[in-house]
Amino acid sequence: MTGVQVYITGMGLVTSAGCGVFRTREVIRRGEKRIRPLSLFSVSQDNPLPVGEVGEFIETGGIPRTHCLALTAAREAMAGCMDVPDAVIMGVTTGGMLTTEQCLKKGDANPESFKYHSPNSVTEFMAHEWGCHGPVITLSTACSSGAVAIKVALEMLRTGKARRVLAGGADSLSRLTYHGFRALQLIDPQGARPFDQNRQGMSVAEGAAVLVLTASEEVPDHAIAEILGAGLSCDAYHPSAPHPDGTGALQAMQAAVRDAHVSLEEIDYINLHGTGTVDNDLSEARALNTLFLDKKPLMSSVKGAFGHSLGASGAIEVVVSALAVSEGLVPANVGCDVPDPELKLEPLMTPLETANIQTVLSNSFGFGGNNASVVIGSPGRVQPHRSSGLKRPSPLVVLGSACLTGAGNAEMSLRTVSEGRSCRGMVPDTVLIGGLPPRLIRRLGRLPRLVLSLASAAHDESRLKDSPGSIFVGTGWGALSETYDFLTKLFESGEQFSSPIDFVGSVHNAPAGQAAIRFGSVGPNITTVGGDYSFEQALMLAGLLGDVDDTLLVIGGDESHRVLSSLFDRSARDDDTPADGGGGLCLRRSESAAGLKTAVMFYETSRNNPSVISSLMVSLAGGERVRERYGAVFAGIPAGCRKRGEEQLREFLSISRFEGPVIDYRRFTGEFASASAVASVLAIRCVDGRELLGGLCGGKTVYLKGKGVLLVGLGDFVTAIEVIR
Amino acid sequence: MEKDLNILIHELKIKIVDTLHFEDITPDDIVEDHQLVGGDLGIDSIDVLELVMMIDKDYGIKIDNKELGEKVFANLTSLARFIHENLKSVGN
Repeated sequence: MTGVQVYITGMGLVTSAGCGVFRTREVIRRGEKRIRPLSLFSVSQDNPLPVGEVGEFIETGGIPRTHCLALTAAREAMAGCMDVPDAVIMGVTTGGMLTTEQCLKKGDANPESFKYHSPNSVTEFMAHEWGCHGPVITLSTACSSGAVAIKVALEMLRTGKARRVLAGGADSLSRLTYHGFRALQLIDPQGARPFDQNRQGMSVAEGAAVLVLTASEEVPDHAIAEILGAGLSCDAYHPSAPHPDGTGALQAMQAAVRDAHVSLEEIDYINLHGTGTVDNDLSEARALNTLFLDKKPLMSSVKGAFGHSLGASGAIEVVVSALAVSEGLVPANVGCDVPDPELKLEPLMTPLETANIQTVLSNSFGFGGNNASVVIGSPGRVQPHRSSGLKRPSPLVVLGSACLTGAGNAEMSLRTVSEGRSCRGMVPDTVLIGGLPPRLIRRLGRLPRLVLSLASAAHDESRLKDSPGSIFVGTGWGALSETYDFLTKLFESGEQFSSPIDFVGSVHNAPAGQAAIRFGSVGPNITTVGGDYSFEQALMLAGLLGDVDDTLLVIGGDESHRVLSSLFDRSARDDDTPADGGGGLCLRRSESAAGLKTAVMFYETSRNNPSVISSLMVSLAGGERVRERYGAVFAGIPAGCRKRGEEQLREFLSISRFEGPVIDYRRFTGEFASASAVASVLAIRCVDGRELLGGLCGGKTVYLKGKGVLLVGLGDFVTAIEVIR
Repeated sequence: MEKDLNILIHELKIKIVDTLHFEDITPDDIVEDHQLVGGDLGIDSIDVLELVMMIDKDYGIKIDNKELGEKVFANLTSLARFIHENLKSVGN
């Protein structure tokens, strides 16, 4: 059988070297350092700290800088490619934050100014530019985001869910990250000096890298390199510091090498994470020493040359690794004068231009102990043992579920719905905290408390003794309280003071990281940020990335914030009652386990996609199948796109000729981005009980007769999740 | 001097509880000579940096390197002494 391999067939870069792969290549060739004092925005301190800023960059009007960076890199990657990508998958940490900060600073309260705030708006922008209908997925796992996006793309290609994917990472500089890392005392005033004995920290940077990844049985003519494998792990140790022994980093590298089916001896070069902070470099060095002992390949970090561009860096470094493979260009570890003897590493001090590099390992680690390693190789160096045809995603079996709504916990919410009343409102504080110890949650704001409570309740309901191995969190807007508090304190102090606690908490994947620490979950730790469809993204990735036969937690949650919710979320703005909450599922990816099963059946944008409902019907295998398989449809129509959603629903019902009950569930949950997570829990309880909760259909009993429930998300995207017996 | 220091210690206890969002301990639970970081209170590196910001903001004193930080944050008395001495030196 011929196996499907994944090739890099196009790539584009923007770094502090400038726009275009060739500029970064030239800077690497010269061993140059592209770190300068910040000039993008003014800071109150006397001397702006050195950063990796894209100098020559020209912004297009009205679009945040991150979006422009991503678009520039994507245009280069897509040059000469006439085919529409099947999916766009990006790692982004701050999205339109630079613009949001400016607007908040000057008291702009026009929601229109914030329409590109979400990290997912970067990915959606790219999908729109190339007419890609989706999936459109945004990973926000801090500094590993770009590398995690490539892992997700790799699995989508391997499972045949896509043939061509646009994947990468992008982040612009912002006050949030500049002042945040400054408050953590993690910035080296002399510029990053990774692995140097006098290193004092990193240099915050910006940039974007986008790759065209193509699945093929044969090596494509224009293949630059091959993605051989990738591995993910979580330290489950601390919200911002890496595990001192590098155990998570080690686990990610081992998983990547195993996934790529290469031996350690085959690795010719390691593109190190190497940020230049004392603890990060030490932790990575310990992991490398454990793994490679004294037979270490060439290694270097490029963060002394370009700085650390956060969500972009993982993808940028995969491009740099591809250059090593395709051109023999190996970067020097710029910034390091005297390697720290304690690290027992020998980073490359001058660039190599004609090295014979067949296989590269690229490391990216981030806050929340979030680790990703990617293996890149020469195209076509395929060993027969790696050829196994298309991988099949396994079904997700439901072991436990829980939700939180304005009515309270799952039992209170179900009772309220059974009585035909709405749960809309904010989750009561006492319920939000649940049984969580005060010491554990003292630094946590509303969203991480919500996520931890859901994680504990869903896991408790499963009655499992063992901890979940991996955690998937979907959040429409992330930790709004921490973000708002950080920026408010910053602006109130004339940009003098910022809170390290708020900064660490503001990172989108902070709640998932907290859940990992709570459970000791060292497997993949994924956070997706996709507005009203974030939970669907998280559930989709659980089916792709969760280890088979391992226990997984999939959580969707959002907090209501008195200022930011109505600025960011147009559905929250259109509703009089502030609402929040979420749902959590404890699942097992298994062919054989008993229990209800759930899966994401469909995920496409409806923008410029007039046939989206027809495509949905194809994915669901036609109307007859829908009528046979599902006893009820739960429709999620966000208030912000109600008209369009209702039209889509009518079209779906007309084509499918579905005549069973249709529940407009936001009327019960209220308006918040991850309302679909609550609806999924309601669906699970209904399918489990073989009847719809009376209150959902005006008080009359509806038996499901062994059928399942289909959850259809409508509006800007059309999604489908099934829950079946 | 000792009187000033005691007032400062009392003030710092309240500020620590407030800055680090302790809900289950009161200012009186912080013992002056007990280890401040990594001890019973569960204060870690992020908390220390939050306190560094508070001290900069409220007293105008910077603690911007790890070696100094480790010395100053050994316990509450050492922290109060450091602030007290630096307040004097800037004539505050």
